[in-house]
Amino acid sequence: MRLKPKLGDFFIILLIAASAVFLTFSLRQADTGEKIALIIQDGVVVKQIRLDTLEHTEILEYSGEYPGIIEAEKGRIRFKEATCPDQVCVGTGWISKNGQIAACLPDRILIRITGTGSAEDDTDIWLH
Amino acid sequence: MQARRPYGESMKKIALNGLLISLALVLSYVESLFPTSLIIPIPGIKLGLANIVTMFALFYLGFVSALTVSVLRCVLAALLFGGFSSLMFSLSGALLALIVMQVLKHGHNKLFSLLGISMGGAAAHNTGQIIMASLMMRNTAIYAYLPVLLIAGIVMGFLTAVVAQNLFYLVDKTHVVNRLG
Repeated sequence: MRLKPKLGDFFIILLIAASAVFLTFSLRQADTGEKIALIIQDGVVVKQIRLDTLEHTEILEYSGEYPGIIEAEKGRIRFKEATCPDQVCVGTGWISKNGQIAACLPDRILIRITGTGSAEDDTDIWLH
Repeated sequence: MQARRPYGESMKKIALNGLLISLALVLSYVESLFPTSLIIPIPGIKLGLANIVTMFALFYLGFVSALTVSVLRCVLAALLFGGFSSLMFSLSGALLALIVMQVLKHGHNKLFSLLGISMGGAAAHNTGQIIMASLMMRNTAIYAYLPVLLIAGIVMGFLTAVVAQNLFYLVDKTHVVNRLG
């Protein structure tokens, strides 16, 4: 009845953990001071907001199947309100570090913070 | 010529399949009540309770049965309390998990215990969901969630394996259905 782990089990744990660590490091971006939030809907950058120099709060309403509101302040951005059923995007809260994302899957909208050299960053966006 | 299976056996198999689909559906519903995504705000994060049923089907009724159970569970769950997008996520996750578990099952008792099989399945499930999410969002940024989801897969895979191990032990004692292989 008791689970007796086999050698292969540890190999699987190691493999999964190693992939997680590898992904974390390869996706990590250094904090360069410059912070740009990309708002991407359906794979297209609909808006870029420079967060580090933002003077006042910016409110952005987005449409789609489940409309909502994105709020940006100096250094941070979040989904303020959303009408989607799961509310995961609102639950994510503020994001402020380079490489961080907040996503609303039902509306296929995503916020991503990126640092300098964001021009190259656009290459990982699949245009249709 | 292939020997004909007695009717009783195939009837039993059909009944068991039906039972497993409804059980998986109930577990999907139960975990939808448990707000995992409010604790860890990542789209699609789940307890993966229905994976216990998939593992049972895989070990006692075979791959085709496990496939039927997972696909029908996903479709019915989407019709009852999800939508088209949730169907796509759960299907891609469930299929990738099933394939990985079927492969790992060949090494069961030799290379792997249920632990490895279940954790591999859970990690594959989450990876499948993220792949589908990135396809639907037409963007690869969503992969930023994958590291947390992989670690969650280890934890949930462990819990699933403990439950499955006890379940298999009890079922083996009853001889209602016998383990394959």
